[in-house]
Amino acid sequence: MSMGVPEIEDAKLLFIFGYNGADAHPIVARRIVKAKQKGAKLIVTDPRITESARIADMHLQLKGGSNMALINAIGNVIIAEGLADKKFVEDHTSGYEEYKAIVEKYTPEYAEPICHVSPDLIREAARAYAKAETSMILYGMGVCQFAQAVDVVKGLASLALLTGNFGGPNMGIGPVRGQNNVQGACDMGALPNCYSGYQSVTDDAVREKFEKAWGVPLSNKVGIPLTHVPHRVLEEKDEAKKIHAYYIFGEDPAQSDPDLAEIRETLDKIDFVIMQDIFMNKTGLHADVILPSTSWGEHDGIYSCCDRGFQRIRKAIEPKGDVKTDWEIISLISTAMGYPMNYKNTQEIWDEMRSLTPSFYGATYEKIEALGSIQWPCRDESMEDKGTPYLHKGGKFAHPDGRGKFFASEWRPPCEVESSEYPYSLSTVREVGHYSVRTMTGNCRALANLEDEPGWIQMSPADCEKLNVKEGDLIRVYSRRGSLITRVMPTERVKAGATYMTYQWWIGACNELTTPYLDPISNTPESKYCAINLEKIDDQASAEQFVKDSYESIRTNMGIDTAKKGV
Amino acid sequence: MNKKLGSFVVACSDQCTGCKACEIACFASHNQKGNKVAHTVGTVEIPVTPRLFLIKLESNCLPIQCKQCEDAPCLNSCSAKAITKVDGVLFVNEDLCIGCKNCMMACPFGAVEMLPIAKKGKAVSQIGTDEVRKSAFKCDLCSGLENGPACIAACPHDVLKLIDLEDDRKEKSIRAAIALTLTGNL
Repeated sequence: MSMGVPEIEDAKLLFIFGYNGADAHPIVARRIVKAKQKGAKLIVTDPRITESARIADMHLQLKGGSNMALINAIGNVIIAEGLADKKFVEDHTSGYEEYKAIVEKYTPEYAEPICHVSPDLIREAARAYAKAETSMILYGMGVCQFAQAVDVVKGLASLALLTGNFGGPNMGIGPVRGQNNVQGACDMGALPNCYSGYQSVTDDAVREKFEKAWGVPLSNKVGIPLTHVPHRVLEEKDEAKKIHAYYIFGEDPAQSDPDLAEIRETLDKIDFVIMQDIFMNKTGLHADVILPSTSWGEHDGIYSCCDRGFQRIRKAIEPKGDVKTDWEIISLISTAMGYPMNYKNTQEIWDEMRSLTPSFYGATYEKIEALGSIQWPCRDESMEDKGTPYLHKGGKFAHPDGRGKFFASEWRPPCEVESSEYPYSLSTVREVGHYSVRTMTGNCRALANLEDEPGWIQMSPADCEKLNVKEGDLIRVYSRRGSLITRVMPTERVKAGATYMTYQWWIGACNELTTPYLDPISNTPESKYCAINLEKIDDQASAEQFVKDSYESIRTNMGIDTAKKGV
Repeated sequence: MNKKLGSFVVACSDQCTGCKACEIACFASHNQKGNKVAHTVGTVEIPVTPRLFLIKLESNCLPIQCKQCEDAPCLNSCSAKAITKVDGVLFVNEDLCIGCKNCMMACPFGAVEMLPIAKKGKAVSQIGTDEVRKSAFKCDLCSGLENGPACIAACPHDVLKLIDLEDDRKEKSIRAAIALTLTGNL
């Protein structure tokens, strides 16, 4: 995020794009409600009526998969109506002419048949966004989980450049990240292309610095993105390039990755799979070795919030059973593999990381303790440097020439669209009671009592009527890749032809259906769009029995005590 | 009039984000003593039985709960005399309730639900069969419980308020009286 989360409350206009705060982050949603109460204008772009859309001044209920066309149209209106911040564009940006040339044809009238949003509403939204004193963009997985994702992110950033909404408080652009501490994982270099603090693995000076610190030669090549693993196992002919071992921790690809049938085949074909997690999960069923680790209340550490804020977490209780912290396990494995690794605590690891990462160097344990949170960059250890609440102060950007780069791209449709055989679209979403892949929440009696297997598919009342199904009925959902059973949830909040499922359920696992198509730059899969069909189940009783039996069998296979399950 | 009007909890749809913290807080506060429900989910051994119900429609989202009616249809229709009114609050006695569902039918707000009874951390079975015993559940404003109503305290968005309509009416009529005086045209 270019801004801090608390600044959301004080923006004069919030432009929320493909982000459902109420279900994904109820506490961030609170800031959105507060902003509205303080008089902020709310524009929400979402194919569903989310809680934010419900209270918004304008709801652009676009058709899924049309983000780029809509954003280009908004840019088009801002330029055509002379609403751009010309001084900011001139002083602090580059690439404006190229940008203007691409968005030129995206008039609201051109975008309408793609987005299904009326030209008047697009114009009204563009005017409000450009004219507000401070406008802030919040976006979520409704932007990132498309095969055209990075383009859209840059398109949103270009709107902020075009209107001068960078460099001050309560403005800018904020990706509200999908997972707890996913920002931290990226900050620490758990990516194939960088070390901590986004220092590139292909930069020789950086590599030499790390080689010197660690006393080992390091590769200067970018690694393999997670979503390329199936390809490198199933299709790679060169044995030397093939993946033979896969060490997975804090991740459940057999639940969360697209096209699960392919993932299971991948996991079974790899010679050796290690799974390290707090509870048993679907990936664990395919693992050769399982390393049980501690959960968040059982260890110390630092998380990064989506707004670049480092916060300390502290051990609250002694771990039960034969478990170790992730860092202890990594140290032991490393030592056993011939590189002795010894740390006394997480502070030692943090200090080593800081010493190699200039942009985080000033964020000491003591300072985080004293201030509660520090947003990077924080370069100096002295108390003077309290971090950076918002980026690009005074219109200075990270590019070597200090200017923000405009970017526009032609709209591309999703990779798999509806057809006569698969006439509905499916998008994966979140729900409030269960988190991520249900490792932490699915076996909780209290939460299982609120929502439980096999999960739901959200459908428009018109589609329910067409298929002659009602709320709670079990229904078969299938795509080119797989099929599953889930329950019908009719809701006026979705448009006819579009359906939505949460991705954590073991029985109604919607990733059986999703496509493995990726964004070419981020390698994030297109979880937000695939084509499916629905089939009414006449024998509901045997379908109910099937759900019950499959759930029991998964639990038995995972060694979860079935007798203790709630009433 | 010698008796106060019963107060009740209402929600504001504009602020609610549908997080269900109120439902969980309601359940937890009513089961702390009898069923040892504590602050973490690991202590929940029984079915979750909230007494207010989150409703999501196309353009509304808010929890619905009992209005503590003055001439309460639930109480009037109860065939087992299981519903009583104490200090303006309507209570269901779970031990007397036979689950006839008259109150569910009678309640114009859908604020009564039939839910399983639990005691000492276990679901209670019926005498004649193994089936779980159910009773009517409705909001009792957390009467007799500390720091109630729990839903109000738990809501992160200040959506819920305890309404005292007598005070509210008085305040409104005072404002109306002042406004009327200001017009000065009578």
